[in-house]
Amino acid sequence: MSIKNVVMLGFFLFGLVIAMVPENTTKPYKLTAEDMLVEVQSAAEMVNADEVAHWIISKDPTLQLVDVRTPDKFQKYHLEGAVNVPLSVILSDEYRDILDQGVKMNVLYSNGTMNSHQAWMILRQLGFKNNYVLQGGLNYWFETIMNPEAPSIYSSDEEFARYDFRKAASGALGGGGAVTLTAPAKTEVDKPKIIRTKKKKAPAGGC
Amino acid sequence: MMGPLVPQEIIGADWNLFIAFVVGIGFGFILEQAGFSSSRKLAGVFYGYDTVVLKVFFGGAVTAMLGLLFFSLFGWIDLELVYINPTYLWPAIVGGIIMGVGFIAGGFCPGVSISAIAIGKIDGIVFLAGIFIGIFGFAEAYPLLEDFYMSGDMGSPKLNEMLGLSGGFFGFLVIIAALIMFWLGDLAEKKFPRKEY
Repeated sequence: MSIKNVVMLGFFLFGLVIAMVPENTTKPYKLTAEDMLVEVQSAAEMVNADEVAHWIISKDPTLQLVDVRTPDKFQKYHLEGAVNVPLSVILSDEYRDILDQGVKMNVLYSNGTMNSHQAWMILRQLGFKNNYVLQGGLNYWFETIMNPEAPSIYSSDEEFARYDFRKAASGALGGGGAVTLTAPAKTEVDKPKIIRTKKKKAPAGGC
Repeated sequence: MMGPLVPQEIIGADWNLFIAFVVGIGFGFILEQAGFSSSRKLAGVFYGYDTVVLKVFFGGAVTAMLGLLFFSLFGWIDLELVYINPTYLWPAIVGGIIMGVGFIAGGFCPGVSISAIAIGKIDGIVFLAGIFIGIFGFAEAYPLLEDFYMSGDMGSPKLNEMLGLSGGFFGFLVIIAALIMFWLGDLAEKKFPRKEY
């Protein structure tokens, strides 16, 4: 057999093999430990309570609050428009459309920041984007947004402005005065429409 | 470690350029060694007396395709991250026709014209001058051509996805097509032989 025929036969056989085998869709982890360290240190995943309050009040359609606490805690109290994705079942397929998408900005929260951060790290490791953590968690949220402390008379204008905003936000969000931890009247969670995103675009390189 | 190496910055931008430089020199050298710096050889594809160029490029494409598919199968490369030139349908068709006409008329494609210049061919130099006139003319006329240039944007589609086939199976079809092309090339060389060129 001439070399030419061998090459032709090789093409054909390799083609046959590749046509028969299933496509490899498994992905190894997206981030190395070093990458993770850089991300964690940059703290780019944090969003502060004031920003979130502003988005809730202005009904920003790109905001998706994700409550990672247990369902009974979620029933007792949750932020407006939040969906409940308990940390223990975060890997279940049920929530994948919420957590792995490229349209909305997911803000994860728990009472403190530990559980929300744990959830964030898992999601980040899976390569999901657009997930953030509410700085300080719900505890800080109550301290600052729902029950803002009036600044002293020596405080800067900026602090007064922040206080005014928080005061107004707390009014708009049903806080102010003593915070009751009873469930709001509407217990039904309005599940936001999930917009299925198409496959992520590969980053443009050179050719 | 998983490829592609450059988009994931496993290989940095500077090394990227250096590697491109080395690969480019290798590419030019092999083009020249394969005799592609002769415009008669390139025009031969059109007239049918020499289809080596067709075979080499089709063979190269098929080899690279098989390599990528197998690398992906072994988990060595993430094909999602491989850059695909976006498709602008109508300008691509018109550009292809212009390129094809230039190919037959000039006897070179842009790459091999550089190879031809490297061995001192005057027709290669003339061809390159033509390329620069074309580039300059296009740049000057760009405001007039912009709407057309940007028309028919299809993003970066893959044929197998549009047809609903798996990458591997579509690859197999491409290989069959390539083998038919090789066979047709042989046939053409027998039908339109030319002794000296």
